[in-house]
Amino acid sequence: MKIYITGTGIVSGIGNSINETYNALLTEKTGLTQKEYPNLNRSFYTASVSLSNSQLAKSCNCKNEKISRSSLLGLKAAIECWGENQIHPNIKTGIISGTSVGGMDRSEIFYRSHLANEPANFNDLMFHDSGSVIEKVADHLNITDYINTISTACSSSSNAIMHGARLIKAGKLDRVLVGGVDALSEFTISGFKSLMIYNDELITPFDKDRNGLNLGEGAGFLLLESEASIAKTGNKILAEVSGYHNSSDAHHQTATSPTAIGATLALNGAIKNANLKIEDIDYINSHGTGTGNNDLTESVAYTNVFKENIPPFSSTKAYTGHTLAASGAIEAIFCILSLNNNVIFPNLNHKNSIPETNLTPVTTVTKDVNLTHILTNALGFGGNCTALIISKVK
Amino acid sequence: MLVNREELKKQIIEELNLEELTATDIADDALLFGDDGIGLDSIDALELIVLLEKFYGVELTNPEEGKEVFESISTMANYIEKNS
Amino acid sequence: MYYINAISSISHQPTFNNDGFSKHIEPLGENSEIIKPIYKEYINPKVLRRMGNLIRMSVASSSECITKVDADVDAIIVGTGLGCLTDTVKFLTNFIQIEGLIPPTSFIQSTHNTIAGQISLNFKNNGYNTTYTQNTLSFELAIEDAMMCLDEGMDNVLVGGADEFIPFLDEFKKQLDFNNLKLTSAVTFLVLSKHKTTQTIAKISDCQMIFNANDKTDDFGSFLLKNNLEIDEIDTVNYSTPILNRKLNQSFKKGVDISSLAGVYPTNSAFGLHLAVDEIQTGKSKKIIIYNNLSQSKLGLTLIENI
Repeated sequence: MKIYITGTGIVSGIGNSINETYNALLTEKTGLTQKEYPNLNRSFYTASVSLSNSQLAKSCNCKNEKISRSSLLGLKAAIECWGENQIHPNIKTGIISGTSVGGMDRSEIFYRSHLANEPANFNDLMFHDSGSVIEKVADHLNITDYINTISTACSSSSNAIMHGARLIKAGKLDRVLVGGVDALSEFTISGFKSLMIYNDELITPFDKDRNGLNLGEGAGFLLLESEASIAKTGNKILAEVSGYHNSSDAHHQTATSPTAIGATLALNGAIKNANLKIEDIDYINSHGTGTGNNDLTESVAYTNVFKENIPPFSSTKAYTGHTLAASGAIEAIFCILSLNNNVIFPNLNHKNSIPETNLTPVTTVTKDVNLTHILTNALGFGGNCTALIISKVK
Repeated sequence: MLVNREELKKQIIEELNLEELTATDIADDALLFGDDGIGLDSIDALELIVLLEKFYGVELTNPEEGKEVFESISTMANYIEKNS
Repeated sequence: MYYINAISSISHQPTFNNDGFSKHIEPLGENSEIIKPIYKEYINPKVLRRMGNLIRMSVASSSECITKVDADVDAIIVGTGLGCLTDTVKFLTNFIQIEGLIPPTSFIQSTHNTIAGQISLNFKNNGYNTTYTQNTLSFELAIEDAMMCLDEGMDNVLVGGADEFIPFLDEFKKQLDFNNLKLTSAVTFLVLSKHKTTQTIAKISDCQMIFNANDKTDDFGSFLLKNNLEIDEIDTVNYSTPILNRKLNQSFKKGVDISSLAGVYPTNSAFGLHLAVDEIQTGKSKKIIIYNNLSQSKLGLTLIENI
């Protein structure tokens, strides 16, 4: 059974819609800027969505702007993705989202006041629960058949896409919104800083002198449908989810294995799942966070799978920052834009290759490329590795 | 400032939650990292960097230096004495 | 068929390594606490020291299961409503209050998928690994995925439900007026298998989730109909929290309030499942339904049967 993608919606530091995002990608316009974080007593390079909570709420017709920013970002992207679709009694419809910290943006505001013995609103904590973030979106779109949230750190929304595809194949759903959301929070910025992997400068994925990541925020959603569902909705097909696989690295809590076992299994598994051969992969949208460990491991994985014939690859995180749980879906959407416009978006800020593997990513916007099958992978904390293959539908 | 090695061991046991160990279990020159040693890993290395700053006001800004500095209690104590 | 070949819980009841616990189970006392195993018998001390409570409980419980089946599992799937709260609060407190460098351990331990991740690390398991967090239906979503995995060709899947209590929750409860709930921590893990073996204790015949349960009586009725069952064929209904609908309550041959035995936490239906399996294993019952009604608007229904 084929799993088709018939909708996309996105919001990130480089754009508040698919069109804005595409233009930013084409013009190599990064969303990363130095931003002051007074509570943290310093500034960080981050990529924020340009809309405030009240602007997001207004643009989504959401009456209550005092909900988690993650929900608001999710609403924005999901509404764009859903488009003109309607709820229908004969089309089983679900929503699956990934998130890493749910409503932490509100919880940390509460907790700061609470610790200082200042008045704090306990109702703010009602948004903390990760599952509740997507319930706001499900409510708004009237989706009631299936609601799920996956939390596997950076691979969350990739896993959401995979799970949605599996549910359709199992006949449990006909149509499903899949994606992920994560708002920036002081909690996560401080977390990565404490791990000493937050770059004080702009990130340089796959570079010899890479020195850590920069965070971003955003939300990305895709609409997956079966052929039978499309026969009822009449939706236009954008691309196909042709393969997927998830594996666990099982090496260390935060570091990936030097032999890249988890990533290698995921990449090989996805190619096999798609009934493709390694030479069928035309381009890889990498995880490429810019940390010493990730980029080396990922390079080793590519060498394990593709040997000397590594396809063109690039990390787009120098555009959007690392959007954590949303990254898998955001980058899957970039793959769809690549496929349908025959363009590869570059790995910005690259100067010198990693000496251990000597791989060079694509460093400028490259047009008129024949792309049929694109691989995209996400490698999360705890060793969670997911690879997806997005394919062109002619 | 001279570092009290026993005190340092207790601080490490406390901060890294080494539940099974007491100060007498850690020899001054025992390897802290790797399976042959006490068995600390990369997360512990970060915790030790925090410990240096918290208890001794010493900053280790380059985590790469950590390998040498944190080799054993002795090397840690020597580093603190040299830099405080 | 989805066979339960091993199951283990760590809770406020003497459930761990104690088959037949359902025969003597008593409601929880005011000051009950988690009944913990000796963790270092199940987890390497070098690794144990970094694990927060919820992770220790989960790894030990998983260990009991995997030892029982004596086989590798192809997947590890965890459902958790609120994740690792102790470490979340610890890191929140640290980054808000500490002026200088912040210790990273609690940040790493705070992510929801640390549970499934640490289990995979402990058993060097490279299989499929995921974590669901949809508050009160987190465990049922995990069970559903496990069943799908078996349908897709896997042999054995480790599935669990895990949630922890922190004192702050009591303060939260007081402020928002949920005062009559006893909040607790617990984990339940099981190995779901395609194969019936000498280890097999019971089977899961169906697991359904309703996300807009406007009429739970209706939903329950439809579930019975779907499984070709009459209400009087169900020996016991284990419900997550007392059922307000008297008529529905009275229609059960026997109803058991999970919250009185295990307390309230988002995935307490997992305890209900273990209770059911234990009851079936003792030969006391043949068909039990877990009725997860912790949420006003959602309902989880799981049918467990003897083999």
